[in-house]
Amino acid sequence: MRIQFGMAICGMLFLQTATAQQAIQFEKYTLPNGLKVILHEDHSAPVVAVTTLYHVGSKNEDTARTGFAHFFEHLLFEGSENIKRGEFDKYITNAGGALNANTSQDRTFYYELLPSNQVELGLWLESERMMHAKIEQIGVNTQREVVKEEKRQRVDNRPYGSFLSEVLKRAYKVHPYQWTPIGSMDHLNAAKLDEFINFYKTFYVPNNCVLSIAGDFNKAELKAKIEAYFGPIKKGDRPIPRPTIKEPALGGEVRDVIYDNIQLPGVFQAYRAPKQGGDEYYAFNVLSTILSGGESSRMNKALVDIKQQAAAAQSVPFFNEDEGLFIALAIANMGVKIEALEQSMDTVINQLKTALVGEREFQKVKNQITTQLVTGNATMAGIAESLANNEVYFGDANLINTELEKYNKVTRQDVLNVAKKYLNKDNRIVLYYLPKEKPTTK
Amino acid sequence: MKKLYYSFIFLLPLVSMAQNVDRSKAPMPGKAPVIQVGDPVKFTLANGLQVFVVKNTKLPKVSATLALDYDGFKEGDKAGVAEMAGALLKRGTTTKSKAELDEAVEFLGGSLSTSAQSASVASLKTNFPALLNLMAEVVLQPALSNTELEKIRTQTLSGIESNKDDADAIAGNVVKKLVYGANHPYGEMMTTKTVNNVTLSDVKTFLSTYWKPNVAYLVFVGDIEPATAKALAEKSFGAWKKGELAKQDFAKPTKPSQTYVAIVDRPSSVQSVVTIASAVDLYPGSANDIAGSVMNNILGGGFSGRLFANLREKHGFTYGAYSSLKSSRQIGLFQAEAAVRNDKTDSSVQELLREINILRNEQVGQDELNRMKNYLSGGFARSLENPATIANFALNIARNKMPADYYQKYLTNLAAVDATKVKEVAELFMNPNQMHIVIVGNAKQIAKGLDKYGPIKYFDIEGNEVAAQVEAKADASLTPAVLLDKVIAALGGQAALNNVKDIQYKGKAALMGREIEMNQTKVLPGNAIVTMSMGGMVVSKQAVVNGKYSVAQQGMEAPITDDLKESLNETATLYPETIFVKNGYKLKIAGADKIEGADVIDLEVTTPSGKVSHRFYDSKTFLLAKVATTQEVPGRGSVTQQQFFKEYKSVGGVQIANEEVLDLGQFKLNVKYSDIKVNQGLKLEDLK
Repeated sequence: MRIQFGMAICGMLFLQTATAQQAIQFEKYTLPNGLKVILHEDHSAPVVAVTTLYHVGSKNEDTARTGFAHFFEHLLFEGSENIKRGEFDKYITNAGGALNANTSQDRTFYYELLPSNQVELGLWLESERMMHAKIEQIGVNTQREVVKEEKRQRVDNRPYGSFLSEVLKRAYKVHPYQWTPIGSMDHLNAAKLDEFINFYKTFYVPNNCVLSIAGDFNKAELKAKIEAYFGPIKKGDRPIPRPTIKEPALGGEVRDVIYDNIQLPGVFQAYRAPKQGGDEYYAFNVLSTILSGGESSRMNKALVDIKQQAAAAQSVPFFNEDEGLFIALAIANMGVKIEALEQSMDTVINQLKTALVGEREFQKVKNQITTQLVTGNATMAGIAESLANNEVYFGDANLINTELEKYNKVTRQDVLNVAKKYLNKDNRIVLYYLPKEKPTTK
Repeated sequence: MKKLYYSFIFLLPLVSMAQNVDRSKAPMPGKAPVIQVGDPVKFTLANGLQVFVVKNTKLPKVSATLALDYDGFKEGDKAGVAEMAGALLKRGTTTKSKAELDEAVEFLGGSLSTSAQSASVASLKTNFPALLNLMAEVVLQPALSNTELEKIRTQTLSGIESNKDDADAIAGNVVKKLVYGANHPYGEMMTTKTVNNVTLSDVKTFLSTYWKPNVAYLVFVGDIEPATAKALAEKSFGAWKKGELAKQDFAKPTKPSQTYVAIVDRPSSVQSVVTIASAVDLYPGSANDIAGSVMNNILGGGFSGRLFANLREKHGFTYGAYSSLKSSRQIGLFQAEAAVRNDKTDSSVQELLREINILRNEQVGQDELNRMKNYLSGGFARSLENPATIANFALNIARNKMPADYYQKYLTNLAAVDATKVKEVAELFMNPNQMHIVIVGNAKQIAKGLDKYGPIKYFDIEGNEVAAQVEAKADASLTPAVLLDKVIAALGGQAALNNVKDIQYKGKAALMGREIEMNQTKVLPGNAIVTMSMGGMVVSKQAVVNGKYSVAQQGMEAPITDDLKESLNETATLYPETIFVKNGYKLKIAGADKIEGADVIDLEVTTPSGKVSHRFYDSKTFLLAKVATTQEVPGRGSVTQQQFFKEYKSVGGVQIANEEVLDLGQFKLNVKYSDIKVNQGLKLEDLK
């Protein structure tokens, strides 16, 4: 069984990437209107990835208008002054390209993958989106239905699909991380057109965006074109709201039972965890790989292979700009008591708190992480996204080249320390997912 | 010189500052990039193993794939042996257990996978030599343990089991069998029977026959020098002994003499999976390969194809409609397919055929043709970002004996495809008079009207032809009261039913390879307990004792609804037919049907809380054959749950079904009661 996560965390599951062996060269500059531009020139294949990252996610939303950031990810494919409704993606398909977008708690990301002679098409489309996207009632109505369908497909209909929203609303009481990017359909229904227009004017401005392009282009020519397409876009004149609220400690274990359309029960444990980017964050990612990186990892070996209590077991570091979560989950095999499964999970986690990881195992995990970081830079799209993420989150696009050092600094003691500090009962939410089953009758 | 270069770059932006762009329309593409399709370094080891090396230093990473090249073979009553052997390879070697092997691979930060025809590894450059050794160990000295084979068998069987209820999987299997024929390796399918037939010795025979270096390619991609790759290949696979493979020839599949409709009846379907298919003479690298792909993309390639525009956008019959045209060394395959609403099955077949005919009869417009060619050339260019693409190109050329410059000339040849050529290949590859129209769906609801496309034939889910369904009719004079009297008489008569004071059923079922115990104990009237256990642990328990209701799943109590009470009250009878009238159920003769060839009468039963079910009684014996209930499941529409009753035997003067099959759509549970006892003098205290 494979557990699928909604768009909410897909940006998080993949680590920002780096390689020590071969530096990723890039140039970074800012246009007068505040647009940050990052260019990585690479002629190894005739392709280019044109991406824009807007520093707006669900945490920037009003408590009564959740789902706005993600809704925009849909709305901004509707068209612009010069792009007719429904034509945005056709331009890309007809050029032999591909496109998509995703939204997290912290940011919204758009990308086009194109044959390199079509790079200008990407610039045109992205600048149209930023300059004068059409925010009209008809588009709002259409996309509202699409988003509802998306929610049905990804959250309501997917086994365990609601787990993230169920975890978040118990993990955060005051911070906007308490809702998922998909947000509330009621809020979207209630929102008026001018609220959408305001959101666009506030967040979709060049000074809240990074344009990151990687691939086969001539940098000098490309810079001229970027200037021509993006230069005339006006800088935003409104303050950009960013939450400063601090979530207090959880203050005791929270336990609950959720009934869902599933066949097999599941245990979801979520521990409150630090922000991304600090020393503890790197130690936590190492810890997560110890637990569930590959078939020889502790959770897979203990729960799936040896005890055969779980059909699947996984840990998910859910780290964000503000304080995040560390999630451990397991889906029970037929006939396994959920309490017994949770006990085994606790045993595996307690081992991390009581003893240093063995030296060979620690080396194995470091090797896995190194491979993962290096392979992450295999595509132009991956490089463009990493550069943009690193710039927005840490003000340091070059982290793509230095991140491995941060992992190399993590010691076995560091792993023990974060386990002891965070993986405690009074710091966690535990959800049991149980089948909402009708009894069989004769 | 250098200075000039810098100032040139510096000046460019200034010059172009004045550059105005016309925002009102999409910019024109730049000059088409020169697409260079590199050639790998190739050499052959003494044992015949052909090695390709694609050097790409972009990342300090190397992968290796060992690809076995044979045309498939007839697995017959052991279908599945190759797939199971492929899965077994990576489950331990003669010196390492599965756990040790997993750890060794991951310690190198690498990955290893195996299949029926391949093995592959990938890791950083530094760990690659050690990882390649592990791959060689897996290929040349696999443990092939019986214990691990049994684990694979269990997984394979549960996969087959869940596919039995999956309309897409059924369609895939039946199409293959009908198009290629049961005697062609492409037409074979795994069944519970064939998987159970596979022994460890079959696995060993397969591996020792088909895994030979002289029919294999070893492909390196990444940051590796060809000389290094050669040394590694020699060291790892040089000692592998070559062997002769008998050349196999398979009869070419014959096309049907006329188009016909093959229906696979699936009574629970709310959608019909429609596939129009035929074998085509299309081989990799053949002259019509590229024109064929342009033609197929115009017809049904993704969101921009004509089928999508017609069946989804214009008519709303389906969420998606697509076509595919595949070349293969033995024989190619054309398919047009859509999963459509039941009541639009006929219309959908008509629209699919209409689009096929338009493409055969009318020239495609220049705009549409150009768009499709751009789409294909863009995709080709983007595919080159992955260095493995070059290796795959080289492999295709070698395995299929394609022209050496096939991919170098791909774009030129693509550009040369014109409207006349598209029409020509449409006529060549899509003959509407010799198609298999395969429909998996609810035969009763969809079959009408389909005979205008050709004769209708019926098939089971394994693609075997079965007798045509005959529409059964209920006897008009039959009322629910008369029917119930007959049913009760058939069960042994009211007196015999009344005489049963307690009854106990003990049974067993298998689910996903694990054994479930099903026990029912009833103290009549009105008390019952039903438990389902696994490995001695109670998984689910339902009871009504002395008017007290309880339902627990995995040890957690569920809330008791009116619905649940009704169903527990039914459980707490010997046969619920005895309480229908007393408890105010609404009954109606809803019609007739057939179950496994036998005529049955359909009684619609509505409980006071409004829950509807259908009970089907054999029209000769009047014994209950099936209960079907339909409920709305979010996202899946209405889902029918069916419970079949079989093997009636007399116990204490009453007919009792010794076998029940519970078909929940996603899985099936076959319960066999081995031990049924009546009137043991049980008390309420015994209901625990």
